[in-house]
Amino acid sequence: MSIFIIREESTVTDVKNRRFKEQVIFANDLTKRFGHFTAVDQINFGVKQGEILGFLGPNGAGKTTTIKMMVGLLKITSGKVWVKDYDVSKDLRQIKKNIGYMSQKFSLYPLLNGYENIEFWGGISGLSCRAIKEKKELISEEISSRILSQKVKDIPPGIKQRIALFSCLISDPEIILLDEPTSGVDPEVRREFWGKIYDLKKKGKTLLVTTHNLDEAEYADRILIIHQGRIVLRGEPSVLMRKEKTDSMEKVFKQAVTNNETN
Amino acid sequence: MRIFYLFKKELIEIFRQREMLVLIFIAPILQTIVLGYVVTTDVKNIPVQVVNLSDSSHAYRIVNRINHLELFDVKKISYSPEDAVSVFQKGTVKAVIVLRDGFEHGTQTFRYPEVQVLMDGMDANTAGIAAGYFNGIARNYVLSDARKRGFRFPLKNKTVIRFNPNLQSINYMGPGIVALLLTIISMFFTSISIVREKEQQTMDTLLISRLTPIEIYSGKALPLALLGLIEMGIGVVVVVLVFGISIRGSLIYLFIAAVIFLFAILSYALLISTLCTSQQQALFFSWFSMVIFLLLSGLFTPVENIPSAFRWLADINPLRYLIRIIRQVFLKGNDITYFANDLLIMLGITVVILSLSLFNFKRLVSK
Repeated sequence: MSIFIIREESTVTDVKNRRFKEQVIFANDLTKRFGHFTAVDQINFGVKQGEILGFLGPNGAGKTTTIKMMVGLLKITSGKVWVKDYDVSKDLRQIKKNIGYMSQKFSLYPLLNGYENIEFWGGISGLSCRAIKEKKELISEEISSRILSQKVKDIPPGIKQRIALFSCLISDPEIILLDEPTSGVDPEVRREFWGKIYDLKKKGKTLLVTTHNLDEAEYADRILIIHQGRIVLRGEPSVLMRKEKTDSMEKVFKQAVTNNETN
Repeated sequence: MRIFYLFKKELIEIFRQREMLVLIFIAPILQTIVLGYVVTTDVKNIPVQVVNLSDSSHAYRIVNRINHLELFDVKKISYSPEDAVSVFQKGTVKAVIVLRDGFEHGTQTFRYPEVQVLMDGMDANTAGIAAGYFNGIARNYVLSDARKRGFRFPLKNKTVIRFNPNLQSINYMGPGIVALLLTIISMFFTSISIVREKEQQTMDTLLISRLTPIEIYSGKALPLALLGLIEMGIGVVVVVLVFGISIRGSLIYLFIAAVIFLFAILSYALLISTLCTSQQQALFFSWFSMVIFLLLSGLFTPVENIPSAFRWLADINPLRYLIRIIRQVFLKGNDITYFANDLLIMLGITVVILSLSLFNFKRLVSK
């Protein structure tokens, strides 16, 4: 098993030369410590242009912490992350222009209705009034305007999730970070949601999706399994399952976690 | 332009909460009226007992005067000594006035009864004021009686009180309450609404958006500042109409002072919001700070009463300056030259506290 745990032996200075051109996100020895607790422990990974990277792990494994470091919401303890050639700790402003981020709680205002939420997120991303109007029409094709005129707090989670994704994509970012986008919605909606993610991939977007649902892992092009702040397994889901001689990600995951704990 | 959307969103959120609207528009009216009537340091109808051990006509007349004043409510007149302490313990009266003949003092022509005033000190404020009144009554009686009998005093004294000649407390409480309204809405609502964004995790998304922290702050605070000003307007109208207090100064100065005060108090609200992670915490912190601000504001007790070791707390209290300015504008009709210093101090407070909260904000964002 351990052959899959590739530790890139590299120093920060030569990382930029070694990394592949098409990698739009690149983390090198990324570490986050809160006091004595190490939430993320020297992780290395890259996400290629147009790829869906699944970030898998139980709650508290360090997924959200990693994402928050990538967007500058948390200070990096050590290591580096580049997003599109920009160093997160230096050029956050540039990175913000290229990133769409959807948090676990959907980032919608419960007292505003669907349209007002769209208008708000569009407006603060610098869209013109006309562009906002177009966006509102666009979402009306997908979700009935009766629902969109309701306060978000009264809208069912599945639709809320779609509105949230729409607002997250409103300024047409190249890189999309989705933090637990499918938590709290039923399997049917989850499948639909992944359909949308594929559409985005087809448009050439790069996606990083975190989840603790193992059955979702198969949707991703590549997965990273993160456990106790460390990447314990990485690769394509089908390859990983073949190696384990199983057809469920759950077994792959359990094996990886036990290996990590025994190490 | 981007900030306009924050503004709009904030106003929608406020107006969609019916409880908030009640709090914002009905509460201040009630508050002004209730506080205006109730929070008064005027002393009226103090329950007293008179023990008259003198049978002189002077004593009789003094008792008569006490009896006829609205200040005192004479519960009982007795003619034999009583134990004042046990009377006070029962709590039926707050003062016992004892009159008796003091033969040792004075000459035959100018002989007056001795007046002893025993006060219940539990309510120190009332006791102090009432004791002053009693002394005044006794002294006035003696002076006027002596004058009537042709005695000339070498020294005349006369007190002239300007701006609030009857020393009515509503005249200085009313304007103070207006300042209080401005504090409540801006401080509570701003800190809570910022912390709510943290709870909803919308703050994360705002931070990742292209908005700068200053834009986020002002977008949150300015709509509430606006409501605060409207609220103050309501307060001024109520104070003027219900209590009949006239504004001698210009409303423009009042407005300028209020805006500068808002900068300062909102900086505090922002500081509180950076220290709290839940709405309950924010509420508690705001409430706690408001009580301190209020008690050290000079609204109820003079700022000069604060021991010098704690005087700095009053110096960094924007409410203190606002109350001072509002009272000046209302009662004295002062123009801006009289309180320009206070305005500058409030601006100074704003700069310091705002930098502190922005620093704290950035530190928390990138921990």
